[in-house]
Amino acid sequence: MANKSDDVKEIKVDYTRLRVPFGPVHPALKEPISLKVTVRKEEILDVDIGLGHVHRGIEALAENRNLVQTLYLVERICGICSHSHTTCFTQALEEIGRIRPSERALYLRTLIFELERMHSHLFLLGIVAYEIGFDTLFMFAWYVRESVLDLFEEMTGNRVHHSMNTIGGVRWDLTPNLVEKVNDSLKKIEKSLKYIHEVFQDKTVEKRLCEVGVLSCNEAKELCVVGPTARGSGVNMDVRRDHPYAAYSELKENFSVVLRQSADAYARIEVRILELFESINLIRTILEELPNGPISKEESILKLMRKIPEGETISMVEAPRGELLYFVKTNGKEGLWRLKVRTPTIPNVLSLKPMLIGCEIADIPVAAASIDPCMACANRITVVDQDKRETRVTDLENLRRRGRKQWMP
Amino acid sequence: MDAIVMLLITLPVVFFLSLLFEGVDRKVHARMQKRIGPPIIQPFYDFVKLFNKERIVPVTASSRIFTAIPIIAAAASILGAAISVASLILETGIGGDLILILYLLAMSSVMVMIGGSSSGNPYGAVGFSRKMTMLIAYEVPMLISIVSISFSCLSLAYYDIVATQIGMKSLLAFTRPSMAVAAATFLLCIPAAADAVPFDISEAKTEIIHGSLVEYGGPYLALVKLAKAASNFALTFLAMSLFFYFPALLEGYASVGLGALCLCLVTALILLLLTITVPRTIFARLKIGQAFKFYWLIPMGLSVLSVALFIVGL
Repeated sequence: MANKSDDVKEIKVDYTRLRVPFGPVHPALKEPISLKVTVRKEEILDVDIGLGHVHRGIEALAENRNLVQTLYLVERICGICSHSHTTCFTQALEEIGRIRPSERALYLRTLIFELERMHSHLFLLGIVAYEIGFDTLFMFAWYVRESVLDLFEEMTGNRVHHSMNTIGGVRWDLTPNLVEKVNDSLKKIEKSLKYIHEVFQDKTVEKRLCEVGVLSCNEAKELCVVGPTARGSGVNMDVRRDHPYAAYSELKENFSVVLRQSADAYARIEVRILELFESINLIRTILEELPNGPISKEESILKLMRKIPEGETISMVEAPRGELLYFVKTNGKEGLWRLKVRTPTIPNVLSLKPMLIGCEIADIPVAAASIDPCMACANRITVVDQDKRETRVTDLENLRRRGRKQWMP
Repeated sequence: MDAIVMLLITLPVVFFLSLLFEGVDRKVHARMQKRIGPPIIQPFYDFVKLFNKERIVPVTASSRIFTAIPIIAAAASILGAAISVASLILETGIGGDLILILYLLAMSSVMVMIGGSSSGNPYGAVGFSRKMTMLIAYEVPMLISIVSISFSCLSLAYYDIVATQIGMKSLLAFTRPSMAVAAATFLLCIPAAADAVPFDISEAKTEIIHGSLVEYGGPYLALVKLAKAASNFALTFLAMSLFFYFPALLEGYASVGLGALCLCLVTALILLLLTITVPRTIFARLKIGQAFKFYWLIPMGLSVLSVALFIVGL
């Protein structure tokens, strides 16, 4: 970040520069993020990223609730990848409490996980189409996504917050009738997906996406970018393969990690389109190989919660947007000492700066959408002092001081 | 005297027709996207609703220019459309009115552009520079295609060109190759003049928040939208009467009556759907450089080709 006095100096010297505020409220952004973009004509010279407009203090809330309440709280961190958050959290609790869910429960978790990846990726494909002014493709992608949401409703009763996970298993079972319905839907979705893939290879779409927002492999590694954003830059990483969780260790043979080397917005979109096909394969395999057995423990969730001792652990899942990491420290009295959530958007959003510098204004929405940012997941505290008219972000040193005071008495 | 009365009568008719055309355009666009779409008279609802809203002028705007411009823009494009409709009905015209119509239409886009830049919003400024580039890109081939027509009909009067088609009992676009090429140029320029996707770069919603329109709201926005609808109507009506005057093919309808006028309007509507609705359904938005390159390669090439073909006698 450029320091303030430098900024003023630069503007004094160069009158051809225009500072365009891109957000926090902007039609291209589905959630608030502020990009202060310095442009000369259409070319972008500098980008200043500001976060913190929808900070909700979820980590602090979690410390005041018991574990079951927190399970439903973390689900509300994100509306798109709600199942990833609960899976990650329950995994951590199960590890601390040494509870082993049944095979069938793990398979069902994976099933919902992959369906969620499909709905998240379709959501993004629609948004990217909308950003480049291709409303028809946007409508079509969301039309396909709707059938995935319908499946969610049939399976779990909810379209967005599925509440599928519970400590030691899942809450809803799959009937043979439903298996058939999922299979039927998948056939239709696969057909539509092939069509969407073709449309994304259309010339006008390629013109807008190719060679836009290039993030080289080295830059991606330096910024610790995760998920499809990293895989689009050729970084070979996927939590599902590297640190298998749920049923992924048994399903290792049934999916491959999609990699692209071209590192532009088109590569990131193509990675997602191909991952959709991988997800369809995975879901089909899960439906075929679904083991029999109970889906959850016989004890009630409250009894299980009371059994969880004091302990700490780190849990990781591959959310649709990339690696999602939880640090959980329980206090042995049904509650939490500390919950730390690192969502994939936090590392990914920083990659916007190297992506955008040198591009045109028209590329901002495309590049911003191509990393699939989810702001509500990523926000950090910003203090706005209205009397003094200043904004300050709580810096690392301040956080450290407060941390020492609270956690190391 | 007759002419003035007729013009006054046509003004509300043009107002009604242009909003109706916009409604049809939105409906067809929605149907092509598997949506139900708004009712056809939705633009009228929008207009009335916007007109009853609060007037907001930003502090940073130069307020006189900012508030005057929507009125001038709407007046210019409605007048442009009304002149073409009225002179078709009256079967008269004065030399050079074709140029007047084209400049009234260009004026409405220039006005919106200036209004945006007078708002003091950086997006308005970006919208201004983008629209300026687009104007240079599409106006030149469009005017060359008109020059080519006027060579062929030896007149710059709007009705003379229609009369030529009636005299030849044929559509101008199909009379000779040079005219067909000119018609193609004109039609290719319509999406850019109408600010429709893929050429809606100057008011790209997701990039620069409607560019020039970013600070307009309430009655001002209603007028600017009306100006756009009227200019779209005028462009397609112009394209219809210059190149595809269908009543010329039919014996009984040669002189303009109500039936012929209806036929004209239907043709204009079909042209609107082909040149504005279909491209905006099937294409993604281009970048400013790509659009500029497209216009200076293809329509420009075609328009020069049309003049060249005419000179060699085709």
